[in-house]
Amino acid sequence: MPKKTPQDGPEGVEFTRNRLEVLIQALAYAAIDDFDYCMSLMRGDAEGDSFARLEMEFTDFLGKLVGAKTALNEALVRAEESNRELEAKLETIERQQAAIRELSTPIIEVWAGVLCLPVVGIVDSQRSAEMTETLLETIVAKQARTAIVDITGIEAMDTKTADHFIKMAKAVRLLGADCILSGINPSIAQTLTHIGVDLTGIRTLRNLRDALQFFLREQAASHLVKLQPLVESAQA
Amino acid sequence: MAEPDAPRPVERKFPVRAMGDVLIVRKRAQELAIQFGLGGRRATELAIAVSELATNIVKYGIQGEVVVILDSEAGARGGIRVVARDEGPPIRNLEVALQDGCDDTGPIDPTLVLRRGGLGTGLGAVLRFADLFEYQQGETGKAITVTFFR
Repeated sequence: MPKKTPQDGPEGVEFTRNRLEVLIQALAYAAIDDFDYCMSLMRGDAEGDSFARLEMEFTDFLGKLVGAKTALNEALVRAEESNRELEAKLETIERQQAAIRELSTPIIEVWAGVLCLPVVGIVDSQRSAEMTETLLETIVAKQARTAIVDITGIEAMDTKTADHFIKMAKAVRLLGADCILSGINPSIAQTLTHIGVDLTGIRTLRNLRDALQFFLREQAASHLVKLQPLVESAQA
Repeated sequence: MAEPDAPRPVERKFPVRAMGDVLIVRKRAQELAIQFGLGGRRATELAIAVSELATNIVKYGIQGEVVVILDSEAGARGGIRVVARDEGPPIRNLEVALQDGCDDTGPIDPTLVLRRGGLGTGLGAVLRFADLFEYQQGETGKAITVTFFR
């Protein structure tokens, strides 16, 4: 079969028109991002005429377009991924910060009306101020009668911070609650006596267990006192 | 035979911008101090000093860093230097600031202690714990260097 060219009369014109239509169709599909179908339309035999050069240029251009689009999509996916990662990290940091804030002054209501403040780690001046504030507020909010401050986990403390702890215990008494200090280690005991702080009215016990036992005994004793008049009146 | 070269001081830098950084730097400083051979109590005292200095950077400095230097050549048996550096304004009156219950302008009103989130005893604690205390200020900021001997 002889090669058909645009100059080949009515039949040739018809052929070129078909190719043109294919080209337009391909362009239309390219415009709506359907590159796969577009490429399949253009996969015709290359003709040696000038129109074929246009087709080739178009196919070439299409290839570049597909490449650029793929790269763009990949970059978008990567950006989304790193964005998600960053958001996850931010969330972790926020969670950890919340945990740290919580951990710095965890006040546990171990019994009805009994608060326990276990102090661990490093206590500096700011943290002791924060602790005082939180403990006093919690005593009022929970209507606590006893607060146990356990400092077993504290190895060293500045004299002024130790002094502030004693002041905190005194402030607890001003609110009408008892403050028990437990777990004072030898070096902090030395610090406290060194600064000559007045310890009257402050109960100190060896450890948290002793402090809890002390509270339970007191509680039992006060119940007996309360029950006594009732028993007497019943006998009378 | 030539003297062997003295080991170079190990230096660790920690940026300090927020309270979270204070927690990290004091924990790391404590760990480094124990590795360096400071006793548990002394290492805790160093950590408290680092905590006070780093807290001051967050409170008063624009931005800063804490550098922990493990120097086996310092003093007779080696020591740890802590440099707390920031770009904030200089301490107006160091002598006053070092007094307990004071900032660098004078005594802190007790009713403000809670709102300030501090007792004004931070620098005093640093001074009590450290073996050496130095203060430098320049055009671009200030630095407090404290040394804890081994």
